[in-house]
Amino acid sequence: MWKPFYVFLVLLTPLRLGAQNKVQLDAEQARILSLENAWDRAVKQKDAAALQMLLAPELVYVDYDGKLMDKAEYLSSVQSRALHPERIVSESMNVHVYAAAAVATGVYRESGERNGKPYMLRERFTDTWVRRGASWMCVSSNSTLINQ
Amino acid sequence: MKTTGFVMLLVCSALLLAIGQNSGDSGARSTLLALEHAWDQALERRDVKALAAIFDNSLVYVDFDGKLLTKADYLARVKSNTIPMDQIVAEQMSVQMFGDTAIVVGTYRVKGVENGKPYLRRGRFTDTWIFTAGHWMCVASEATPILH
Repeated sequence: MWKPFYVFLVLLTPLRLGAQNKVQLDAEQARILSLENAWDRAVKQKDAAALQMLLAPELVYVDYDGKLMDKAEYLSSVQSRALHPERIVSESMNVHVYAAAAVATGVYRESGERNGKPYMLRERFTDTWVRRGASWMCVSSNSTLINQ
Repeated sequence: MKTTGFVMLLVCSALLLAIGQNSGDSGARSTLLALEHAWDQALERRDVKALAAIFDNSLVYVDFDGKLLTKADYLARVKSNTIPMDQIVAEQMSVQMFGDTAIVVGTYRVKGVENGKPYLRRGRFTDTWIFTAGHWMCVASEATPILH
């Protein structure tokens, strides 16, 4: 129960609109980073309620294999019984905030078991967030495997 | 010089289309698709000037191998001709509008010769565009190989 509530609190943190100064930008960047981390937790815990709050209904999601998914398909993929993520970490994240949008990039590492076999992914992602009232929602996410 | 002028004309036409239009209307979608095509043509012709006019200075670009590039990195790569490509075609593009933010998702095919061997690469891309100061500027782009 606390997980969706946590995401709800992150989403409802008051926005300071108007002329954007550096402090405001930093605050928005920090908020987007919190949302990215909340997303990782929600995927690891297969928390559909939390994901519902983070992702816009119009979400377009491009997975590391180039597969295009809408929000329903993405939620279904996260809920897959064959998938058991054990460790999810996003790192080297950077956020650019524009007037009503933000772009987050970073490196996503996921490991666990799929169909009883261990797997490990290392991807670079780009997520675009848009303001929706007092909150931010992710409208697009694209991941690409990082070649060593 | 001739090709540079042609692509610049395409870019300028797309930029002019954007001036004075509401970013949420169908005109914006046409403008964005025109900009995507202008991007492809500029890439084929290695027209760095035209590409520079399409990208915001904050551009974050994730290449098909997961490498993260800035605008300067991307333009330098195009200029240096390190990845020879004869043809690039974007297809199946769709545009989603979120006020002054737009997401373009599509597939692309690239043909070329690398290290003396011909290659054909197919991928999916997500581009994020922001309407700022009367223009649509690309702020993020990620390309992912289609593996299935």
